[in-house]
Amino acid sequence: MDRLSFHDQIRNNKIKSLALIIVIFIFFLILGYIISIILDPGFFFIIMIISIVFSISYILISYYNSDKIALASVKAKPASRTQHRKFYHAAEGMSLASGLPMPKLYVMESKQINAFASGRSPEHAVICVTSGCLEKLDKQELEGVIAHEMSHIANFDIRYMTLTAVMIGMISIIAQIFLRSLWFSSTRDKDNKAGAILLLIGILFAILAPIVTQLVSLSISRKREYLADSTAVKFTRYPPGLKKALQKIKDEHTTKEEMHKTPKAVAPLFISDPFKRKISGLFATHPPIDSRISRLGRM
Amino acid sequence: MALSALIWIIIIVISLLVILLIYYFNRFIVLGNRIDNSLSQIDVQLRKRADLVPNLINTVKGYAKHEKGIMKEVTEARKALLSAKTFEKRAKAGAELQSALKSIFAVAEGYPDLKANQNFLHLQQELAAIEDKIAYSRQFYNDSILSYNNATKVFPGVVFASLYGKKPKPYLEIPQETKAVPKVEF
Repeated sequence: MDRLSFHDQIRNNKIKSLALIIVIFIFFLILGYIISIILDPGFFFIIMIISIVFSISYILISYYNSDKIALASVKAKPASRTQHRKFYHAAEGMSLASGLPMPKLYVMESKQINAFASGRSPEHAVICVTSGCLEKLDKQELEGVIAHEMSHIANFDIRYMTLTAVMIGMISIIAQIFLRSLWFSSTRDKDNKAGAILLLIGILFAILAPIVTQLVSLSISRKREYLADSTAVKFTRYPPGLKKALQKIKDEHTTKEEMHKTPKAVAPLFISDPFKRKISGLFATHPPIDSRISRLGRM
Repeated sequence: MALSALIWIIIIVISLLVILLIYYFNRFIVLGNRIDNSLSQIDVQLRKRADLVPNLINTVKGYAKHEKGIMKEVTEARKALLSAKTFEKRAKAGAELQSALKSIFAVAEGYPDLKANQNFLHLQQELAAIEDKIAYSRQFYNDSILSYNNATKVFPGVVFASLYGKKPKPYLEIPQETKAVPKVEF
């Protein structure tokens, strides 16, 4: 089952990434169109050219730098071979077991046990773990976690997940800025009609942006996590490793300060929800950890 | 009219055949290369292990002068590994080196100063990691053999395999002395 769906998963991820890029492109064109109508229809061509250039550069920058943006957003630092030897050994072992190129390794400061992978292809992949992950997990557990991230790399989850996180994340920031500037400009606006339209769009944005962010991040995780768990076991041939790691993640208590270190947009990238939200079902970014543990137990 | 339709059918059949021939040729090449590559990964790890031995011997010598027998065993296993011409011989020598190293670490238990030596600890960790890596590359090698063999045995691949003279390859047997039982914790 997993073996069969593996290639489908890769193709699926590539198609979804492309679709996302097209949607983003169209989004900026529509945005430019709306702005040009509101401002002055005479500026139509100039604004459209600007928005095309803007959206293309936006897409190119996020495509080639999505991993760096994700790493920067959690303030990750490159892992050192002498200081994080255990991390290097585990990652090298998993790279050999999976036949994938060795990813670049990063460490982020956090007491929470967590990890994520990013990049646009297996050749340009990174794995980032928290310092808590290196402290609290033993060799087999760490290998399990890294194998899980390796399988996200192998089936191109990282491309789609990181692109989504970065593109949608930045759009929601842009939307917020747009919205705020509207509140201030609309009061001074002489033309009431334009002001009303702007306000309407602003309100629409305020309602839609978080919903879209939420829904897109939903399409990312969940099912992928089960698949990555089972592929991880294919690499380590040792289900208890990852199982015990998940158990430790489940049992640990995290303070509020630890949680706020992670931006919401990158949450779906992680092996387990950094916010430890209890909700399951439609709005959860990760499948319930208990059902992942029990699935691993049955392997 | 009927003639040109026939010609079209022949052209389509031939081009399909050519595409299949190319596809299977490339597939066997890709799968075969993967096997070669994973074999060289095992080789790399075996050599890395051999490279660490002199350093280890020097460290042990400082603390356990009397254990000459074991050190000689390790040095000879290393020599055998480095001089082995074929991969089979290298893998066998590598396994012997591994069991010789195991006895060194067993002996070290009796020398608290040696056990506390930073360099020794570091080498012990490195060698343990190399052992894991050898196991993982062996596992990937056997996985690659499996996909290669499946490709040569499953229809229609079997037809093209016999056409190109591709035969199933043998799996890598684990030498008896290194068949370690994985540690299970509850």
